[in-house]
Amino acid sequence: MKINALLEKLLSRAILTLFLIYTLFPMLWLVMASLKTNVELLGDPFRLPAPPQFGNYVNAFKSAHLALLFSNSVLISFSATALNALVASMAAYVLSRYKFKFGPVIFSTLITGILVPVSALMVPYFTLIRTLGLYDTKLALILTYTAISLPLSVFIIKGFMDSIPGELEEAALLDGCDFYQKFFRVIVPISRTGIVTAATFQFLSSWNEFLYAMLLTSSEQVRTLQMGIRYFASQFTTDFTSMFAAIVISIIPSVAMYSVFQNQIISGLTQGSVKG
Amino acid sequence: MQRTTHFRTGAILFLLPALLLFTAFFLYPVGYVVVVSLMKWDGMSSPGFVGLRNYSVLFHDEVFRISIRNNLVWACAEALIQVPLAILVALLLARKPKGWKLLRTIYFFPHVISGIAITMLWVAIYNNERGLLNGFLRLIGLSEWEHNWLGGLSSAFPSVLVYGLLYIGYFMVIILADISSVSQSYYEAASIDGATRTQQDWHITLPLIRGTIATCVTLAMVNGLRQFEQVLLLTGGGPANSSSVLVLYIYKELQNFHYGTANALGTVLIVLGGLVILTVRRLFNAAKYDM
Repeated sequence: MKINALLEKLLSRAILTLFLIYTLFPMLWLVMASLKTNVELLGDPFRLPAPPQFGNYVNAFKSAHLALLFSNSVLISFSATALNALVASMAAYVLSRYKFKFGPVIFSTLITGILVPVSALMVPYFTLIRTLGLYDTKLALILTYTAISLPLSVFIIKGFMDSIPGELEEAALLDGCDFYQKFFRVIVPISRTGIVTAATFQFLSSWNEFLYAMLLTSSEQVRTLQMGIRYFASQFTTDFTSMFAAIVISIIPSVAMYSVFQNQIISGLTQGSVKG
Repeated sequence: MQRTTHFRTGAILFLLPALLLFTAFFLYPVGYVVVVSLMKWDGMSSPGFVGLRNYSVLFHDEVFRISIRNNLVWACAEALIQVPLAILVALLLARKPKGWKLLRTIYFFPHVISGIAITMLWVAIYNNERGLLNGFLRLIGLSEWEHNWLGGLSSAFPSVLVYGLLYIGYFMVIILADISSVSQSYYEAASIDGATRTQQDWHITLPLIRGTIATCVTLAMVNGLRQFEQVLLLTGGGPANSSSVLVLYIYKELQNFHYGTANALGTVLIVLGGLVILTVRRLFNAAKYDM
């Protein structure tokens, strides 16, 4: 019995450690590779860089217009996140607090959008964006990203708003708040957790999105960082180390966002699983 | 009286943007995909109605068959390998071994980073001459196992598919959260009856988190149907289309201005997604009545 327990503990540790190595090793190697010379990297890929080549990062910025792509990504992701949070929380507010005939139908239609494989909708998105005259603009990506995550955001935010007691609103009404004041001054501040959760997911998915960034844009002036990495890969196949530097740069914002909002992400996933 | 109309205007105004975006990016596109899938259209000249011809062309098309097969293999692999691994790791972490919170954080990492970044990493790992994998095999004296992983007809698709299956953090977090919501009193009672931790996991935890497992299986399978970036960057669908998947095929058909077939493929993808959701729901509900 004792031996069994010990074996079980060892086995469990072994499994957890294997997954840890599998998750971490490639990333540590990536950072290490981004600090090597190409000769070092190809000669002995597992040795530590000596000395670290921070010049790779400078090269990455110079040769792939990384600064431009980075600022495009920031602008597009933040705009889509802000717009998504606003539109979703307005809709979630009405669907959560007002009982009207079509409310439940509208809500359930909206959230079936979570399960639609949006990559199947390439052709209509492409023609829609072209018809609107938005092809190859940042606005095309901002609108698309805002819309794609809308069902998930409404679902998360409505979940939080549903738990706000009605008395708070009645008090606000007695204080003479109109509809808009009630929303912006009472409901939004209280639902902050839900809104931030949805916004974190939205930011990460916009920052990392690839298919529509490729499909709906064509010029470097509007393209995102993800496209930069792709082109880096095809154009600079000999300069691996700069490509790795570019990848490291591209993941820093996501990792930072995750570190700050880790608990939000985890609680958001939990909320989502309750209903499923 | 005046106040209620005022509030009604507000409610409509607040719903409007979401409904507009939803109509433009979900309702209209889904309808469009289905309707245009019945047409022959290059995107410029006027479209002609051809009924189900695009579909019958697809069913005799080798690339379509390979793509469907690969997508189904992918969906099943996620459900049968990734989800069980996530459950296993979640059960282990639920025992709160030292450092479990840190492990939970680290396991989730790959889901924060873009698919492009991870995939480019694996481009470097699988690379034939200078790749990390072949280098590692040489290092430990297994050079006869060296292989052109992404270039081989039989190894390309498995190589594209397999590495993502071991990134289990996303489902692990969902499952772990559900496990921690199970009431402790069940476990206390079971301990008094002399049940071991493993028995408790098997007879108490697993049945109670069945709903969450169903959610994860659905998400995993739909995920397997949506795959694209990994394939595009690692093999581009090659060699000889052996690693092609539906979304990549849609993308290629769109670029060739075959809007009809591209949308027939889109319709197939949407229908497959719907079937997965219904099947998983039915399976897990049936299991509930059996018990």
